[in-house]
Amino acid sequence: MRNRRNASLLNFFSLFIIFIILFSFIRSGQMNNYYSNILVTVGISIIMAVSLNITSGLLGQLALGHAGFMSVGAYTAGIITKSLPDMPFAFSLAIALLAGGILAALFGFLIGMPALRLKGDYLAIVTLGFGEIIRVVVENLNITGGAAGLSRITRMSRALAVDKKMSAAIQFGVVFWLMVIVVTITFTLGRSRHGRAILSIRENEIASEAAGIPTTYYKLFAFTLGAFFAGIAGGLYAHQIGLLTPRHFDFNRSIEYLVMVVLGGMGSITGSIVSSAILVSLPEFLRGFADWRMVIYSLTLILMMIFRPSGLLGTKEFSLSKTVHKIQKFLAKKFVRKERKPKLPFVPNYDVWEGKPVLTVENLGIRFGGLVAAENINLHVMNDEIVGLIGPNGAGKTTVFNMLQGVYVPTCGSITLLGKDIVGKSTYEIASSGIARTFQNIRLFKSMTVLENVKVAFHTRMTYSPLSGITRASRYDSEERGIDIRARELLHVFDMDDVADENAASLPYGMQRKLEICRALATNPKVLLLDEPAAGMNPTETAELMDTIRRIRTRFSVAILLIEHDMSLVMGICERIYVLNYGHVIAEGTPEEIASNEEVITAYLGMSNKDNKEDKAC
Amino acid sequence: MTLFLSQLLNGIHVGSIYALIALGYTMVYGIVQLINFAHGDILMLSAYLVVVGITKLGLSPALSVLLSIVVAVVFGVILERVAYRPLRSSPRISSLITAIGVSMLMQNVAQLIFSPNPIPYPITLSVPALNLGGLYLSFTTLLTVVLSVGLMFLLQIFVSSTKAGKAMRAVSEDTGTALLMGIHVNRIISLTFAIGSGLAAIGSLLYCIAYPSVAPTLGSLPGIKAFIAAVLGGIGLIPGAMLGGFILGIAESLAKAYISSRMSDAIVYGILIIVLLFKPAGLLGTKTREKV
Repeated sequence: MRNRRNASLLNFFSLFIIFIILFSFIRSGQMNNYYSNILVTVGISIIMAVSLNITSGLLGQLALGHAGFMSVGAYTAGIITKSLPDMPFAFSLAIALLAGGILAALFGFLIGMPALRLKGDYLAIVTLGFGEIIRVVVENLNITGGAAGLSRITRMSRALAVDKKMSAAIQFGVVFWLMVIVVTITFTLGRSRHGRAILSIRENEIASEAAGIPTTYYKLFAFTLGAFFAGIAGGLYAHQIGLLTPRHFDFNRSIEYLVMVVLGGMGSITGSIVSSAILVSLPEFLRGFADWRMVIYSLTLILMMIFRPSGLLGTKEFSLSKTVHKIQKFLAKKFVRKERKPKLPFVPNYDVWEGKPVLTVENLGIRFGGLVAAENINLHVMNDEIVGLIGPNGAGKTTVFNMLQGVYVPTCGSITLLGKDIVGKSTYEIASSGIARTFQNIRLFKSMTVLENVKVAFHTRMTYSPLSGITRASRYDSEERGIDIRARELLHVFDMDDVADENAASLPYGMQRKLEICRALATNPKVLLLDEPAAGMNPTETAELMDTIRRIRTRFSVAILLIEHDMSLVMGICERIYVLNYGHVIAEGTPEEIASNEEVITAYLGMSNKDNKEDKAC
Repeated sequence: MTLFLSQLLNGIHVGSIYALIALGYTMVYGIVQLINFAHGDILMLSAYLVVVGITKLGLSPALSVLLSIVVAVVFGVILERVAYRPLRSSPRISSLITAIGVSMLMQNVAQLIFSPNPIPYPITLSVPALNLGGLYLSFTTLLTVVLSVGLMFLLQIFVSSTKAGKAMRAVSEDTGTALLMGIHVNRIISLTFAIGSGLAAIGSLLYCIAYPSVAPTLGSLPGIKAFIAAVLGGIGLIPGAMLGGFILGIAESLAKAYISSRMSDAIVYGILIIVLLFKPAGLLGTKTREKV
């Protein structure tokens, strides 16, 4: 423990020492204006790349208009300092940077609201469009100086102190520490429940929503935060250069930052830092070759991508992240407060529903255009009951699940969960009020660890705010430690403690299915929907699964509704079965009743009585 | 009214060039899901080839154009082979960045060879315009529209009814299955790049006749406009590219004439955004909902 403290202290001081050395070099003039300017540009680029990495790397939404937010921040800040000539520059600069950031965030919010409904290349092209619109509008406004630009903005390298060298040194300091703050915020937020929520959207949006994450909110949150940082970077840029023209912020500029993010590794903050530093300084080092430098630059880019397609660092991080974490922990312990007890996640206090139905579906129906996918469906699931939902392919089983979880809104009928109507609620709300599910085709957060997969689903049972996440407040600490305990407990129930730190994608198939169930249970459901849990399993694995399902029913006190084609499983564990055909419930009853029901045999099993008996025997 | 009609003609003229270039984007996207940012720069390449052919090699205009088409086709195929094929199984963003890198490389090499200063395009058409009751229809417009629309129909027939065209559609639906059905996927992808680049070379000829000035950044603007056209119509769809191109061209010239020439780009992007918000897969695209 002492060693770790010492290490984190050392890291913190090394950051400080780097600053002191560079500061004094610039102050004394050993490092001339040209080099100090490169340093400042590197700092601003790091802010830009890290902020773009929030949207493109962590959230996984490709954005091509990031320079647009930078220009909003730059022009806002420039106009503010120009219109406050009497105020001391340090004050007006602070106001200007903050205002630039806020206005850029506002733009991010307004653009993100409609745009984030789109995905992939379409989102990319819409953000490109917005970026270009911002540029064209700036080009045509009077207040921004039109195409000629906004000139004579006070420059930080002149106005921060009387002495020019001192001023340049302070400029470096301002950019350096703002950069450190932005990077730290991104790191700490990334490691909180909010960061996990954002990552889970990148990994699998549908599963994320089903695990109780309000995806729309988090997409907008990440996009707005990225825009805010870009706005601050813009403000710094305006006061570094002193002259803004719309051409500075065109599409190519957005691309420049995107290249930094991709080259460093999408999702790796340290990768963004390293690649920004390299990409900004590389052309400067190549200045000797004047004509050739851009050719070399673009060739390097192509070769880098061909030979290291996932970037310098992939999604990995340096230990700096741990360092930052440790520093805060250390500081928190040393100066602020004592450690709190881990706070176990809030568990909803479901009323006693013994002997009563926890889920009731009445007259449920849905049509897609003219197609009636399900009609007049009535079913109920009693407390702690295991119910099967069977039927031939295309009978509407998964459609029923999708309606139960709010993925589809039913055209008619009602769904009552624990006495409350849940029709029209969104998936994440339903997830947090007590229905969890697994998917027919496994949907895990593949590049997150097994433990993190489970932790994502605890999201709704935690309460700390993004700000507590960033500042690592005591609530963060106790809640995170609480869910760490709970998540490991849950994995232990499934004998998965050994693989807790492995990537979900690296698990064998059977384990992936188990992890999905585990994740669903983490949301603390009252009703668990299993969509073909035995698909792709061999008879031994299926037998094991049956055992697991019975076990979780008693241990977690959940009612289970499952879709399955494997009759040995359905007949073996279900207490009641509903049979669906062409969107209608054609039979209901105990396994024995269903197995001997004529209508079911002809409509669904399609076999004679004799075959059916043989089937039952095995 | 005459003003409106002549602007409409202008729009159709520009729009058919955009549509022709958009075909290249759309075909490549349809088959390998790559936004080929270097596509616009193939326009620039073929424009310089025509310049070199006529002024340096002393070839006839027709021969230089032919040369430019052939070289563009070969270049497109090599580009795919060298820069994009190694990245086919990598994250899509990596190939996107590679495409951007190729685009930068081409522009900068062109700048090294030809200097950044624009030079005049050596081919001009001096055929008097047709007078249709006060409305002048220039020969260039006629040629452009007829040539582009004709090529688009040919392409549509090729894709829908030839063996190679069917293979192309199969690869774009599902590369893995196409491979299992015995389709030579690599060859089909090369063919797609070849056709796309060839069309870009013809697009370059038509574009440069309309705006006769050649510079290393020549391809950026029509490239990005054509890309927008492709997305507007529904990327991956040949009729979508045509529709998108025409809508974009007409909207642009009407906006220039009636609203503000400086704001026309913003209006074009605005249309794109509005269309995508209501039809997220473009005008002709059908939204495929992810199965849960």
